[in-house]
Amino acid sequence: MRRKAPIRYSACIFACLVFGAAFLGRNLPLLKAQESIETPASKVERKNKAPLSREVLQVKLPKPVEAKLQNGLTLLILEDHRTPSVFAQLHISGAGALFEPPSMTGLANATAQMLREGTQSRTSLQIAEEIDRLGATLGAAGSFGSSKVVFSASGLSDNFGSWFALAVDVLLNPSFPREELEKLKQRQRAQLRQQRSAANFLVNERFNRAVYGDHPAATVSPTVESLDALTQEALMKWYRERYAPQNALLAIAGDVRAQELIPRLEKWFAGWQRNDVKRTWPPNPVAATSRKIYLVHRPNSVQTTVTLGNIAIERRSPDYIPMVVMNHILGGGVSGRLFLNLREEKGYTYGVYSDFSALRYPGPWRAGGNMRTEVTSGALVEFFKEIGRIRDQTVPPAELEDSKRAIAARFALSLEQPAAILGLAASRVQFRLPEDYWDTYPAKIMAVTAEDVQRVARKYLDPDTMQLVAVGDGLKIQSVLEPYGPVEVYDSSGKLTSSSNSSKIP
Amino acid sequence: MHEQPVKTAKSFVAGWIFLASIVTGTLLESAESESNLTAAKLPKSFDVTFKEFKLNNGLRIILAEDHSAPTYSICVTYNVGSRDERPGRTGFAHLFEHMLFQGSENVGKGEHFILVQNNGGSANGTTNPDRTNYFETLPANQLELGIFLEADRMRALNITQPNLDNQRQTVQEERRQNIDNRPYGRTHEAVIATAYANFAYQHSVMGSMEDLNAATVQDAADFFRIYYAPNNAVLSLVGDFQMDVALSLIKKYFESIPAQPPPPIPDVAEPEQKTERRKVIEDAFAQAPRLDIVYKIPTGNTPDWYALSVLGQVLSGGVSSRLYQKLIKDKEVALSVSAGPDERRGPSLFWFSITARPGSDLAALEKMVYEDIERLQNEQIADWELSKVQMQLRRQRAQQHYSTRTRANAFGHYAVYYNDPQLINSVQQKYSQVSKSDLQRVARTYLKETQRTVVTTVPKPAAAKAALDNR
Repeated sequence: MRRKAPIRYSACIFACLVFGAAFLGRNLPLLKAQESIETPASKVERKNKAPLSREVLQVKLPKPVEAKLQNGLTLLILEDHRTPSVFAQLHISGAGALFEPPSMTGLANATAQMLREGTQSRTSLQIAEEIDRLGATLGAAGSFGSSKVVFSASGLSDNFGSWFALAVDVLLNPSFPREELEKLKQRQRAQLRQQRSAANFLVNERFNRAVYGDHPAATVSPTVESLDALTQEALMKWYRERYAPQNALLAIAGDVRAQELIPRLEKWFAGWQRNDVKRTWPPNPVAATSRKIYLVHRPNSVQTTVTLGNIAIERRSPDYIPMVVMNHILGGGVSGRLFLNLREEKGYTYGVYSDFSALRYPGPWRAGGNMRTEVTSGALVEFFKEIGRIRDQTVPPAELEDSKRAIAARFALSLEQPAAILGLAASRVQFRLPEDYWDTYPAKIMAVTAEDVQRVARKYLDPDTMQLVAVGDGLKIQSVLEPYGPVEVYDSSGKLTSSSNSSKIP
Repeated sequence: MHEQPVKTAKSFVAGWIFLASIVTGTLLESAESESNLTAAKLPKSFDVTFKEFKLNNGLRIILAEDHSAPTYSICVTYNVGSRDERPGRTGFAHLFEHMLFQGSENVGKGEHFILVQNNGGSANGTTNPDRTNYFETLPANQLELGIFLEADRMRALNITQPNLDNQRQTVQEERRQNIDNRPYGRTHEAVIATAYANFAYQHSVMGSMEDLNAATVQDAADFFRIYYAPNNAVLSLVGDFQMDVALSLIKKYFESIPAQPPPPIPDVAEPEQKTERRKVIEDAFAQAPRLDIVYKIPTGNTPDWYALSVLGQVLSGGVSSRLYQKLIKDKEVALSVSAGPDERRGPSLFWFSITARPGSDLAALEKMVYEDIERLQNEQIADWELSKVQMQLRRQRAQQHYSTRTRANAFGHYAVYYNDPQLINSVQQKYSQVSKSDLQRVARTYLKETQRTVVTTVPKPAAAKAALDNR
C-alpha cells in the first residue's frame, strides 16, 4: 500500500476499526461540525462471512550475506535470481544534511547530485550517455533531516560489471565541475519557487519548523542565499571529509553471486580510504509543550491540508513496537479509525492517515489529510475525537488482535521484492538492532497489549501540546482554527504575516 | 482509485508524464519491452507462463503460478471505462468503481478493505478511459479470500442511496485533491477537451462536479447490470497457488453469476483533424508556465504506436535524452520535460509536456520542440540511441516482473484492450521490431501541425492577488 498520502514518513504500518462513544480531547473547545449537510447513514459494517485462514503465514526472511571490506565498508548482499536485475544502494552516514552548516543548507544534497556531473575521466554528458546505453539508473540524494546520503544504482545483470564500474567511478572520482555546479544551482533555484505551488510542500515546511524547532531537521528546503553560498570548494571539502567508507553500508540485491562479488568489490573500492571524520550529532529535538496553530494562507485553495502532531520517539525506543500497533489502529491505512471515520462515514476527504518518523533521533507522529474547505471545522473535531478515544479508552480486544495480525501477516508481502527484504536488513544494521530483530518482529508485535497501546497514545499523542498546521484559504478557515489556540499566519512564500488571535489576513 | 491517489484513474497520461520527466526516464506502465540484442547476449529470459480458461458464463480466467514468494495477486479487469459514459454523466465509471468497496451480499460497507488489510494484504481499484480494474495482493494462505471478495461484488453488489451519496463526496474530494487544488491539475482536462472531438475521449475520467452530483442510484444499478457481468470481465491470478485449487475456487464462487447481453461498444472514432488547435488556460497555483503539445496517433498495440513509444524514449527517457539535454541542461529553459504516447484502445495522443522555468519565453520553447521534431523527420536517429532504448525497456520490464500485482494487472490490460494476454511476453518483440526508418516514418506521419493541439498553462498571479484585495 504505497499510498501517496500527504504524509510521507519512514515508519508506516497499517490498521483496523471499531466505533465507540465520541470523546473529545481534554481542554478542547467543544466545537460542532460547522456543516451538517451530510448526516451519514453510510456506516461501516462487518458481516464476518468471508472465508479466512486464521493462521498468520509464518515467513522467514532470506538473510543477506554480510561482510566488511578492508576499508571498513559494510556489505549486505542478497541473491535473487528471478529476473536479470540488480539493485545497489550505498548509504553514507555522516554525509547527510543533518550535519550541514546552517548557512549552507542544501550542501549535502548538492554534493550528492554533483557526483554524476563529472569525474576525472568523464564529462556529465558522457556519464549520462553511458548509463542510459547500459539501461541502468544512477542517482544520489541527501534529503533534509537525514544523517546520510543515499547513492543508488540499478540495472541488468547482463552488464552489471559495466554499470557498476561506472557507478564506482562516479562515487570515487568526482570532479565537481564549476560550470555544472552553476547549472545545478540554477535548476534548484527555479525549483525553490515552483515547490511553493503545492500545498504538501507548504504543510511540510511549516510542520517541520513547528515540531523540530532549532534542530536541523526543521529545514525542508534550501534558500536562495544558501544556494548562493555553495561553491566548488565547499562541495569538495564536504565530499573529502564526509564520504568515509567506515561509515557506509553498501546493500546489493538481485541476480549476483555474493562469493564472486565480494572480491570484485574489494578491488573496486580499494582506492576509497578510511578517514577520521567525527560525526557530532545535534542535540535531540524535544516535543513542543503547548499547542500552537499555524495557518498558511494559500489563496484559491478549495481544500484545507491539515497536519497535526508532535515529536515522539527514536527508532531504538522500547516504545517503537507498541507505537507501530497504536498508529496502525488509529491511522495506519485504509482500515484505520481516521480513514473509516473521516472518509468512509463522513465523506470529508479522499484519504486521511497517520504515521510516524523514528530515526536515530526522535521524530514526529503526525496525522493529516486534505479536506474541502467547508468541512475543516468538522474534520478537526473528528481528528481530536479519535485522538481522545485512543488515549481515553482501551482498545477493544478484537480490534487489537486484528491490528496486530494485519502487521504480522503483511510481512509476507515484502518477500516479493528483494529490495524490500534488503531494506529491512539495512535498517537493522543502521539502527544497530539485534541480529534476530526481524525474525522475532511478528512475535513482538503479537505481544503488544491494550495497555501498551493506551500508554503510548497517552505519552506521545497529547492534544494539549500538538502542533497543528493548516494550509488553505485563510479567509475562510482562520476563524475555524482560532478556538484551538494561538494562530500564526503565514503566506505561501513562507513569510509570517501575523501572530495573534485577533489578527486578520491582510 | 482507492486509498491512493497514485494511480491512473483520472489521468493516466498526466501521471505518466510526471514519472517520465524524472531523471531515469520511466516509461509508461504499459510500455514494457525488452532489448533487441541477440538472444545469445541475453543471459536470462523472464517470460511468464500461464494458462487460460473460460467459464460457461463467459468469465475469462488467466492463471500464472509463481512460487518464489508466499503471495499472490488477483485482478479483475472490467471492459468498461470513462469512454462508455454518456453526456451528463461524466465521472460515472470512476464513481461506480468506488461503489464496489461499499458492500455486497456477504461483505459489509468498508469491510473489503478491512478484510484485506487485517490479513496482511493490500487492495485498490483504478479507472481509466478504457477499462476498470480491481486487485488484491495477499499472503498465499488467503487464496480463497481474494476470490470470494471479487466474486461477491460481481454477483450481488449492494447499491444504496446513502452509500452513493457518501462516495460521491469522497470522489469530489479526490477531484479537489488531484485536480482543483493542485498546480496544473486542470491541464490534462483542457488538453483532451481540445484535442478530441468525440465525447468518448474528450472528457476526463474524474468527470465534472455537476455530473457527479447528477448521478443516481438507478444509474448505478443499470451500470452494474450492463457492464459488471462475468462475460465482460477478465480474472487474472498470479502467484503462489496450485492451478487446480485456484480454478476450483474460482468456479465455486463465480460460476453461478449469470451472463448478461454484451454491452454496447462505444464509438471512439475521431473525425480527421484539419488544423492546429490552441488553447491557453490560467492556473491559480502554478508558479511556472507549462506547455503541452499533443498529436493524434493510432491506437495502442500497433506497429506505429510501438515506434512512437520508442520515439518518446529517445526524446525524454533518461538524462542523455535529446530534450532533457537541450531544454533542461543546455538552454536551461525547462524544469521538466516528457514526451511519449498515451495508450488507448482508440485514437491515442503523443504527448509533450514541458514545465518551463519561471520567466522563460514560451514561444521560443515551443519552437525548440518543433526543431527536434523536424530533426527526427529529416534524419534517422543514431544506432546507440535505438539500442539504448531497447536496453532501458528490458531493464524496466525485468524490474517490474518481481511484483505479482504488476503481472496480474498486465494480463487484464492485454486481455481487455487487445484480446491478447500473450502480449505480456511478446511485447518485447513488438518493440524490437522497431527500426530507425520506422521512427523517421512515424515522426513524419503523425507529428504534423495539422494533427496538433497546443495547450499553454500560465500562472494566474492576478487571480491570487484579486482574492486578497477583495478581502
